[in-house]
Amino acid sequence: MKSHPATPYAFLLPALAVYGLFVLVPIAGSLRMSLFSWGDTPTPVFVGLRNYAQLLGDHVFWRALYNNILLLVASLLLQLPLAAAVAMLLSYKTLCKPLFRMSFFAPMVMPTVAIAILWQYIYLPEGGLASTLVSKILGKPFAYAWLAQPSSSPWLPSPSMFWIFVTICWQYTGFHMVLFMAGIAAIPEELYEAARLDGASEFQICRHIVIPGLKPTIAVSATLSIIGSLKYFDLIYLMAAGLPEADREVMATYIYRLAFDQGQGRFGYGSAAAIMLLLVAIAVVVPIQWSKRKRQ
Amino acid sequence: MKYLRHLILFFGLLCSAYPLAWMCVTAFRLEADAQASPFAFPKRWVIRNISKVFASGGFEDPWLNALLILVALCLAGLAVLVLLHIVQGRFQVSTCLSVIILISAIVFSKCHPSVQEALSGKGFANAYVNSLLVCIGSVALTVALSSLAAFAFALCEFRGRNTLFVIILAGMMLPVHVTLIPLNLLLGPGFLGLKESLWALVGPYVGFALPVSILILRSAFQAVPTELLDAARIDGCSTWQVFANVALPLARPAIATIVIFNFLTMWNEFAFALTLLGPDNSTLPIALNDFKGERGMYIAETCAALAIVVIPLMIVYGIAQKHIIKGLTAGAVKG
Repeated sequence: MKSHPATPYAFLLPALAVYGLFVLVPIAGSLRMSLFSWGDTPTPVFVGLRNYAQLLGDHVFWRALYNNILLLVASLLLQLPLAAAVAMLLSYKTLCKPLFRMSFFAPMVMPTVAIAILWQYIYLPEGGLASTLVSKILGKPFAYAWLAQPSSSPWLPSPSMFWIFVTICWQYTGFHMVLFMAGIAAIPEELYEAARLDGASEFQICRHIVIPGLKPTIAVSATLSIIGSLKYFDLIYLMAAGLPEADREVMATYIYRLAFDQGQGRFGYGSAAAIMLLLVAIAVVVPIQWSKRKRQ
Repeated sequence: MKYLRHLILFFGLLCSAYPLAWMCVTAFRLEADAQASPFAFPKRWVIRNISKVFASGGFEDPWLNALLILVALCLAGLAVLVLLHIVQGRFQVSTCLSVIILISAIVFSKCHPSVQEALSGKGFANAYVNSLLVCIGSVALTVALSSLAAFAFALCEFRGRNTLFVIILAGMMLPVHVTLIPLNLLLGPGFLGLKESLWALVGPYVGFALPVSILILRSAFQAVPTELLDAARIDGCSTWQVFANVALPLARPAIATIVIFNFLTMWNEFAFALTLLGPDNSTLPIALNDFKGERGMYIAETCAALAIVVIPLMIVYGIAQKHIIKGLTAGAVKG
């Protein structure tokens, strides 16, 4: 469409101004602040790359990154197959299908804070739902601090992270399930019919028709999981608070605690950690986008 | 086989719905009862917990607080209707009337001393009003800014279009927490001086909502038939008129998507609200977190607080289920 050469810029200006001020400027600010020692000393002092050097030797930082990666791997290996399986079960003729869909998706609408509070009660050491279930199965009283288990060796994550991951599954499985349901619905009906005529079993149909047909959906779901796993904050911050310092962090919570936890206020060091998170995000996202573009 | 499938699915339904059902039941239990065995079936039902939560801030009378929340929710519904009308380009008497009611309600709530007192400090009534103000303001601003920008990206030709678009898209991949520290300084007393007030949230919310919204709206604008645009042009429409009278009404479904997606994301947002708001201006997630911090040992009461926040959301979700699921998935998948 033809228009006066200045018009498009006028249309863009307000959005670009807000985006620049509240997204781009803060990132530049982070980069600058990461070169200063700020909070460790009363006034900002330029220290060059010393914050980064310190960060590389900071085992809490590495543990935070490690926890991020573990949660990512867990959601790829456990959550996505679970969501796909539920979607496949629902793809047949089912009683009250909309009810299932609505109920599985419902946690996505809730505030994460509400989910964290609710699940903290489920994980109460004594009398919580989880403990009650186990004691019913064992037939004797049972108490276990689900959310306060320190890790037993430096190479293992805290078992509590797994219980938090269960909550993450509760929150997001319905979402991925909806994506997979849309993916399954996009597979042409004739393919199933042809396969059934040729005498394929349900398992063979699943293996040779549904899973190949779902490839684009799997790619989307996995990408969302990968990008989302770098953004974990609310649940971990609220639910892992009872763990020792080295076990409870992911990248985002570590940045937050460095800067805003009582008595810390280490803005410079926290910014360095934030820039590292940014670099990790770029390192993860750029190859994904690049391969996506190549496929197209 | 069929029965096994249904059995598995109902087990899944139990897992996903039970925590919510438990929350609703516990909200109406005696505290002592809930403490003794939180997961047993209640012996007696009481409404005391709910009134206690409402009494935790705001008016003296807890039910006035409940009424305030109800009024606020109705006003929010009205605001959504007004937004829809404006998008559809229909300015009727009812639209004007709604705008007048909305403005007078806001003015009333800010000026009348008793309401003002109820709306300062702690309490869920205050948090509801705050959340509504922030979300409606930010969503309206997001829709306005992103539709303008998306129109330019989709239908105008200008130098640097692709570069600018890539820069905006990059914002979607960023973990927002990278900007927590600098935003606190930027909004703090040295620079913009908005920190601790509700206004502090609007900037970051809109800034981070723009990339997804622009992307979704851009594809909607690209789908507008060129003949239509050319015809409007030949009839003498300016670029602005083409935007407002032709392209925007046709992009209505996409606008609904970004309204739903952004509204829910902002309504549930925690990290920015935690760092940028002062003690007097909490949004709902913060109010919940504070309540848990103070009275978390009282299970029934905290569940009542959860129910007050979650049940209205679930009612809205139940009514607009199809649109909400579509809005959330489209928003995330495009992003």
